[in-house]
Amino acid sequence: MANQQPQTLASEARHKKILTIVFTIICVIWVLPVVCVAINSFKLNTFVKTETFALPTEESFAGWSNFITGMTFGNYPFWSAFGYSALITVLSTALILVCCSMAAWYIARVDSKFCKVIYTLCIFSMVVPFQMVMFTLSKTADTLKLNTPWTIPIVYLGFGAGLAIFMFVGFVKSIPLEIEEAAAIDGCGPVRTFFLVVLPMLKPTLISVGILEIMWVWNDYLLPYLVLDINQYRTIPIQIQYLKGSYGTVDLGATMAIILMAIIPVIVFYLSCQKYIIKGVAAGAVKG
Amino acid sequence: MAEVSLKHITKIYPNIEKTKKHHFGKKAAEPEKKSNLKVTDEGVVAVEDFNLDIADREFVVLVGPSGCGKSTTLRMIAGLESISGGELTIDGKVMNEVAPKDRDIAMVFQSYALYPHMTVYDNMAFPLKLRKVPEDQIDQKVRQAAETLGITQYLDRKPKALSGGQRQRVAIGRAIVRDPKVLLMDEPLSNLDAKLRNQMRAEIIKLRKRINATFVYVTHDQTEAMTLGDRIVIMKDGVVQQVGTPQEVFNEPANLFVAGFIGVPQMNFFDGHLEKTASGYVLDALDTKIAISPETGKALEAAGVTSLDVTAGVRPEQIQLANADEPGAMSGTIDVSELMGSTVHVHASVEGYDFVLVIPTIDFDGALGRSFADGAPISFKFEPNAVHFFDKASGKNIIKP
Repeated sequence: MANQQPQTLASEARHKKILTIVFTIICVIWVLPVVCVAINSFKLNTFVKTETFALPTEESFAGWSNFITGMTFGNYPFWSAFGYSALITVLSTALILVCCSMAAWYIARVDSKFCKVIYTLCIFSMVVPFQMVMFTLSKTADTLKLNTPWTIPIVYLGFGAGLAIFMFVGFVKSIPLEIEEAAAIDGCGPVRTFFLVVLPMLKPTLISVGILEIMWVWNDYLLPYLVLDINQYRTIPIQIQYLKGSYGTVDLGATMAIILMAIIPVIVFYLSCQKYIIKGVAAGAVKG
Repeated sequence: MAEVSLKHITKIYPNIEKTKKHHFGKKAAEPEKKSNLKVTDEGVVAVEDFNLDIADREFVVLVGPSGCGKSTTLRMIAGLESISGGELTIDGKVMNEVAPKDRDIAMVFQSYALYPHMTVYDNMAFPLKLRKVPEDQIDQKVRQAAETLGITQYLDRKPKALSGGQRQRVAIGRAIVRDPKVLLMDEPLSNLDAKLRNQMRAEIIKLRKRINATFVYVTHDQTEAMTLGDRIVIMKDGVVQQVGTPQEVFNEPANLFVAGFIGVPQMNFFDGHLEKTASGYVLDALDTKIAISPETGKALEAAGVTSLDVTAGVRPEQIQLANADEPGAMSGTIDVSELMGSTVHVHASVEGYDFVLVIPTIDFDGALGRSFADGAPISFKFEPNAVHFFDKASGKNIIKP
């Protein structure tokens, strides 16, 4: 036994080494597209196709010209696309967080058939692919005048509610009921119990749901493309699509530059909040 | 400041399914234990016909085994549980339909139930802030309560940075800052370790003298009940078994359940036959005839006993060692003996009945272990006055009216 132990340790160390190598390779593959976008955004258009994986050389380096081209391309100002993207993202996420946390609290705490049906429907909505409902949805959204950046968050609320409620309900159930009872005795009605006691405790889940929703809404292409009036309102993903010239010619360098600009806010946001996302996902996952 | 009166309070859960969902976490297991509860057409009766008048500033302890309805009763007083029947009044006002926040009560929970996102100070100030008390008064009251409980140095900390005992102090602090009429405590010491529990128990006794509130305290621990309560309410399966002072429930238990529940180690029970003879009452049990003292005899006569099968009970502390040939002595064999320090608990079996004897070690000579070896014979006796008589059929105390 005494002789065997060092051997096991050695083989364990070898396993760890192999795993490290395997996962390093996977990581590289994973970030490669993003790195490619970053590299190519600084290359002249003609070099993007021929030297896709090479770093910019003196010959191929384009400086900031791709960014300027991309932002001034066409007749739609890039900054207003950026602005609409930000507006839709912030409004949708805020709406989802407020509405879903309240709904989840009710579903988790009130025991009735109605709540069970609502909860099941919310979970079910995660299973239905967007493509299945998109045409009827775009027609309905037009009729209800949900086709502006100020009203499209309501559509996002509908699509985002499933995941958000699922995560919130899981977390609310892990909060001891006694805390809310203590609040009731201390003098809170339901509204104050929610905003002063429950909502602050939901913070980790609020942040992780917020991150997930922000990444989704910011990157979403299909829903705003179908619902919004494209001539009036464009989001960044739509604007990228319009970089394609009328005869199918694409300024790849400029496209890469704009894609990079679209990625950066999400990456910055994610990095600054990532310690919460892990905490939040774990917090919600313990009790479901 | 406030009398609390419960008249025919009843709690019925429509069905077991429903009961389960009313309680989360630890309480979810309760319905299975409630199997002894009465089930009517309306549902499971968790608390049945509870009557109690609690005087102003009285300390009442509800005690009983798990699932006996003591917590449910407390939660009905708090307003966290609806009342199925009967009338609850606090300070003369009917409170059945009043929201918890308007009952002027405070509650300390077993799990502390502190607000995790607030500091100790904010936790304690929270009920005052909600009542729109001026800021300077809040500060004064919180600091005063913190001083009383010795938690002044922790006011800036979050609950998670505190130990169990400190958290419980904060929870008590939050309850006393707003001078409630009634202070409800739901097993507040159960989550603490044994040493801390003794310490906090003493502090609750001290605290109680300092604040003007009526206390209702729930526990499953009979020691807490005996030491804290002015009066003790013993419950079982949703039914009140006895209400009385600690002395009363200890000396005159109303029935077998109370006799067995109060007192550690538990009272020793054995079956016997009580017979009235010319020279007085005689208890025939354990192969021995025990002459009952004239005082007890009078009480038995008053109860109209002539010849009756009884379950007799003797407290372990009231049994003395004796020589085997002494009159009234009983002999048996030792099963096991436990040295507790100042006493030895000797478990012996006599005629198939298990007996526990508490023998002081103070005036003991010789090695302890050898004196009470397993399997060794032992003889003991007890004063006839020390015997409690319970009706064998109903379990009721025969002498206690």
